[in-house]
Amino acid sequence: MAKQFVCRTGDIPANGMKECEADGGLKLVVANSGADYFAFQAICPHQEVPLCEGLYDGAVVTCHMHLWQWDVRSGAPIGLAEAPLERYDLSVEGDSIYVESKSAIDVGTLFAGASEATLAQLAALARRETYPPGAVVYRVGDPADDFFVLDSGHVEFQIGRDERTSPAGFMLRKGEVFGWAALLEGHPRRIANARALEESALLRINGTEALRVLEADPQSGFLVMRRLSALIARYLAEPGAK
Amino acid sequence: MRVQVNARNRAYEFEAEPGEKILFAGLRANIDLPYECATGTCGTCKARLVDGRTEDAWPDASGRKYLKGAGEFLMCQCAPAGDVVAEVGSFVYATDPGACPAGPVQGVLAATRRLTHDVLAFDVELDRALDFDAGQFMAVATPGVTGFRGYSMVNFARQARRLEFVVKKKPGGGVSEWLFGGAAAGARLQLFGPLGKATFHPSLAKNVLCIAGGSGIAGMMSILARAAQEGYFGQHRGYVFFGVRTLNDAFYLDELAALQRTCPDRLDVTVALSDEDVPAAASEGHPTLRFARGMVHEVAKQAMQGKYQNVRAYLAGPPPAVDSAIRFLLLEARLTADNIRYDKFS
Repeated sequence: MAKQFVCRTGDIPANGMKECEADGGLKLVVANSGADYFAFQAICPHQEVPLCEGLYDGAVVTCHMHLWQWDVRSGAPIGLAEAPLERYDLSVEGDSIYVESKSAIDVGTLFAGASEATLAQLAALARRETYPPGAVVYRVGDPADDFFVLDSGHVEFQIGRDERTSPAGFMLRKGEVFGWAALLEGHPRRIANARALEESALLRINGTEALRVLEADPQSGFLVMRRLSALIARYLAEPGAK
Repeated sequence: MRVQVNARNRAYEFEAEPGEKILFAGLRANIDLPYECATGTCGTCKARLVDGRTEDAWPDASGRKYLKGAGEFLMCQCAPAGDVVAEVGSFVYATDPGACPAGPVQGVLAATRRLTHDVLAFDVELDRALDFDAGQFMAVATPGVTGFRGYSMVNFARQARRLEFVVKKKPGGGVSEWLFGGAAAGARLQLFGPLGKATFHPSLAKNVLCIAGGSGIAGMMSILARAAQEGYFGQHRGYVFFGVRTLNDAFYLDELAALQRTCPDRLDVTVALSDEDVPAAASEGHPTLRFARGMVHEVAKQAMQGKYQNVRAYLAGPPPAVDSAIRFLLLEARLTADNIRYDKFS
């Protein structure tokens, strides 16, 4: 992927952070931590608050609005945060900082922490598809062979059949995974309709093949399965009803 | 009218009465829709209209600055005009079954009394009993003023028939001008609540740190009242920092001293004066209270050094004071984010 110039190392305060605009228009926050530089999305994934207005101590980024926090190195959520930060890979050449674009597989939480080799194998399984607004990704009863990683766009789910359907949530963040029945045993059929609300780009990955990759690297596989159960619980959970 | 809200995880359907705000109708149906101030300032309850039409009761609400595009609206200000489908960007669940249910309630302005030259207490007698948690607030609508304003309860009681609030005089503030202008006792008020998540429960079992600026002390009084009723400070400590400009701006000092008497040596109260040195008369009038010169978060930071084990902090007051307190509690005191509680009003 092409790399784009972001800023000079001298622009970023020591153990501080600053909002920058890369060549090409991508807005991101660049943070310094000792000898290292990290970059992540400019806007809080919660409520569109600029993260450069938040707090940063050289290790943890905090949005000042509702105290969502992230590890600056991984973008992993800490404490109250309910979503990870989208991180960008930087390269430093001399005093210039460049950003490299990342695949949706690397951005999402489901595969965070899996080994490089496993991520590369999953990426090799992925087929990129684009859906125009209104296009159906799958319907109730279709075979659940593949799962999807959202790259861009907005995908909505409906449960029920015929006219008696009701909305069952939607996906809009790069890296979000849906159609996960393809990763579960005993769930051969779709239980919802998935439809693109706007033009959407998806990575389609075959569930059986992905499971084979994860079985060959049980450490990564265990992490992914733990995250998958947390993900499913999030859609089922009614907090307080313990 | 039927309202459907599509959240990230699922859709919810509920009924709204004619003219009822979508946020209030949803909360009444035990759906924990996103909100913070519930009164048009914070922008947290913004939603996108998918289908139908809404009536905006307060098109000048300051929270509208957070909206992008014509399709977005504030659920706390808009009522459905016919059936409506809207979308919110967050995960939404049912209200915590342990929370006090929110709903509309009517009341009567029972009494007002001056606390300082620009702060006034007012009591509302409710038409029905109301349960709320210490630290919560009500949205209150007064005759002739557009929209609701948020006021924290000062008192604490289960099945409360009377709520006590504090209001600061604000030039051009409709409700404050109405109350300071000698609002007639007996005037009918519309309320909705209880609202807010910066609540205190005795099961917390932590030391309690309250940092409040000005009328932000209201919710802290409710927290302290509840704690005192339950003998909470028998086991745990309380640290209260109350910031005002000068001693003349301070209020509830007798009440704070009385709370201290219920739990000797366990409740430290410090009044921070930002704009004047501490007058000699301060300690003479209230020998059990501590007085210090400085911004309230600076005074708290100084006094709390080395006392952050097992602490839950509650913050209220002007946004810059709250933000400064958050900053030192997170970065210097190293409290975890879930132990810093406040409701954002801007």
